[in-house]
Amino acid sequence: MKGIAISYAVIAALIAAGPLVLGEGALRFSTECLLILAMAQMWNLLAGYAGLVSFGHQVFVGLGAYGLFLISDTFDLSPYWVLPVAPLAGAVVAAVIALPLFRLREAYFSIAMWVFSEIVAALVMKASWLGGTSGLPLKSSRLVDLDWFEPMLFWVSGVLALGTMGGLFLLMRSGFGLGLMSVRDNDLAAMSVGVDVRRNRFIVFVLSAAGCGLAGAVSFLGNLYVSPAAAFDVNWVVYMMFIVMIGGIGTLEGPIIGTAIFFGLRELITDQLGISAGWYLVALGTVAVVVMLWSPRGIWPPLRDRFGLKLLGVGRTAPATAELAPVSGKAGQLG
Amino acid sequence: MAWLETLVNGAFLGGLYGLLGIGLALVFGVMRLVNIAHGEFMVLAAYLAVILVSLFPQVHPLFVLIPVVLAAFAVGYLYQAVIMNRVARAPDPLAPLLLTFGVSIVLRNLMVEVFGADVRSLQLGELSRASLNLFGLSIGVMPLLTLVAAVLLFLLLQWALKRTQFGRIVRATADRRDIVRLFGVKPDRVYNYVMGLSLALGAIGGVLLAVRSSFTPFSGVERLLIAFEVVVLGGIGSFWGALLGGIVLGMAQLAGLKWDANAGLLYAHLLFFVMLLIRPAGLVASKA
Amino acid sequence: MTLLEVAGLDVFHGDLQAIFGLDFSVAEREAVALVGANGAGKTTFLRALVGLIDSKRGNVRFDGGDIAATPAESIARLGLCMVPEGRMLFDTLTVEENLLMGQVSQRSGSWNLRRVFDLFPALEERRNHMPRQLSGGQQQMVAIGRALMCNPRLLLCDEISLGLAPVMVEQIYRAFADIRTEGTALVLVEQDVKRAASASDRIYCLLKGRVSLAASAGDVSLNELTQAYFGM
Repeated sequence: MKGIAISYAVIAALIAAGPLVLGEGALRFSTECLLILAMAQMWNLLAGYAGLVSFGHQVFVGLGAYGLFLISDTFDLSPYWVLPVAPLAGAVVAAVIALPLFRLREAYFSIAMWVFSEIVAALVMKASWLGGTSGLPLKSSRLVDLDWFEPMLFWVSGVLALGTMGGLFLLMRSGFGLGLMSVRDNDLAAMSVGVDVRRNRFIVFVLSAAGCGLAGAVSFLGNLYVSPAAAFDVNWVVYMMFIVMIGGIGTLEGPIIGTAIFFGLRELITDQLGISAGWYLVALGTVAVVVMLWSPRGIWPPLRDRFGLKLLGVGRTAPATAELAPVSGKAGQLG
Repeated sequence: MAWLETLVNGAFLGGLYGLLGIGLALVFGVMRLVNIAHGEFMVLAAYLAVILVSLFPQVHPLFVLIPVVLAAFAVGYLYQAVIMNRVARAPDPLAPLLLTFGVSIVLRNLMVEVFGADVRSLQLGELSRASLNLFGLSIGVMPLLTLVAAVLLFLLLQWALKRTQFGRIVRATADRRDIVRLFGVKPDRVYNYVMGLSLALGAIGGVLLAVRSSFTPFSGVERLLIAFEVVVLGGIGSFWGALLGGIVLGMAQLAGLKWDANAGLLYAHLLFFVMLLIRPAGLVASKA
Repeated sequence: MTLLEVAGLDVFHGDLQAIFGLDFSVAEREAVALVGANGAGKTTFLRALVGLIDSKRGNVRFDGGDIAATPAESIARLGLCMVPEGRMLFDTLTVEENLLMGQVSQRSGSWNLRRVFDLFPALEERRNHMPRQLSGGQQQMVAIGRALMCNPRLLLCDEISLGLAPVMVEQIYRAFADIRTEGTALVLVEQDVKRAASASDRIYCLLKGRVSLAASAGDVSLNELTQAYFGM
């Protein structure tokens, strides 16, 4: 635990020092990495720890961004002060749609989230007060000191990334976290020992929506512009999913590895090899498919098990239910 | 009168929607898998159709369905045999879900790179525009034929499942995957055939939809969402429910467009969501 | 003529060993009883024989051929069939369709729909019913009939009498006599020792994955059986 606290402090210090050391291009790139990592951790929280796969999480990214732009422009406030609106927007919407959506299980929940995202995107595109299909510029950008803009975004992203990781770490070690993992592994069994399944899932859903909302807001703040096609682009959830899948679902270390691979691959393919972005996505998808076939739990768990590594230690592994499932009606009998 | 026409045409569209959904429903019913890439396979079939039509202009475009359907069956068989069977057995329901999502990303972007992002459609010439006058309503000939085709295919599928040995084997495998091996059945092989059938049905839907409206490599998402909505609306586990769900969705879609021409699929999606709220079991109560 | 020969069989559930060095044999047309308490390993043993469990080692020969590594689908086609514990009928198939599944392995023999209905007349009346509409005993008949339709040379019956009224059990065991005259060998797994012993030529008793007794049914006293059963 002490080792973890020390590493955490070191990373926090690195982030604080970042803007002083890194050039603008590198700073922007790092900001992007941190934001995507945060989003991936949020998706991981929902899928890996609560067992809900969402193909519609881009809706929270977009809602967070639009929330920020709308409030900031309407009340002519500096966007930095308006940032808290973003997670709130995500959380509120998540809380509202949880009711109908939680009736669906597994794949049906996943796709229903996607449908919901498409609905919101379509509504936003039709709303002229939200800029319609062209989107909104950030008018209150004139309130922002542009010299400190990139550093501020970097620091906010760093806080978000560290915050989500730290928060997840503490959450998973708490009673709530254990309850959560029990729900993920077997919700009937969890219910039978008094874990409130719906409440746990609800809380996780809302938290992950809030996190994505904030990350989305910061991301589009950096562009000083938001458009519905970009804000509600399904590729957001594609990135989140691939990072988590490839890295290791249900672990804290997995998404870190996944993010590294994600950006490494991107830089390699688009920068070094100069190949178009479309092929990059093909490569990303192929890597994900191959990893899913060979190591469905991602890259981290086999590495961890093989070499006995223990970095952040709150992962959950899907139990080998196939062998433990009752062969006949008489559960638990070997004969 | 115009509204009645809209509803009737919506019902015809619904037949097509039902076709989009039936492949998805089949795979889920038998293998408990949701093939997220289903939409992309439908678009792929449409591209194949367009290519074949341009290569063989002397043949009537609809005949292109035959090789496309056969190719789709073969692709489905291989897809299941090489990739999907490896995860179909995983106790973790996430793996197949994430895998098929990955496949859909690969297919989508591969199609962009290979075919380009231009809008395409399948031209049938006169047939696309022909219409009949029935009971004072103007009915499109293609939409009517599409509904007839959908109903025939549904009947064919039902016959195959209920009255043939193959159908018995499929249903038995869906019921008890392990026990069916005691009777000499290889569950993996059954799954191969079912996925082949699923993509073949999807291909028909995909090609007919390409006649009706244009498509790009990104159209797979729309098709998947429709297919999914159709299945859930109709009641998970009911095939005829899927057709009914398709019809309801089709009507909502066209009614919505009549009212608000730029809405795209918004009203269909909204109807789906409302139905989810008030009747989550679907229109036809499922037996599952 | 030995039909089934098992030597030194070990079977595993994951990392847990469930069967230890088991020797077992069944001759043509023989009826062998396999008894033991809950958890002794009877069902595990049958499932391993029939190919549904892969983690095993040892010798298993059926009709002269080595089937230790053969997949279940092929074992079924060789004529080694099972009536699984809990019946495991196909719930969305009718009674008749369930029975017809037996024909899929395409083995030739004297069993067909007509003969199964003659053996179990109650099924003929209910040929278009769904399994859930049948009583436990009738479901058991369907399960047995389904396996018979495979024209098995050796039929493994796992806990046929479980949960059935004695009258039903009587009726089913009477059917076994007919099945044996047709030339099918039987392995009867039961918790009811007396019932199984009375219908068999030889009897094995399993205790915690090992054979605790193997003898002719006539040579063994109830006392000896009880001791072997409970491991006293």
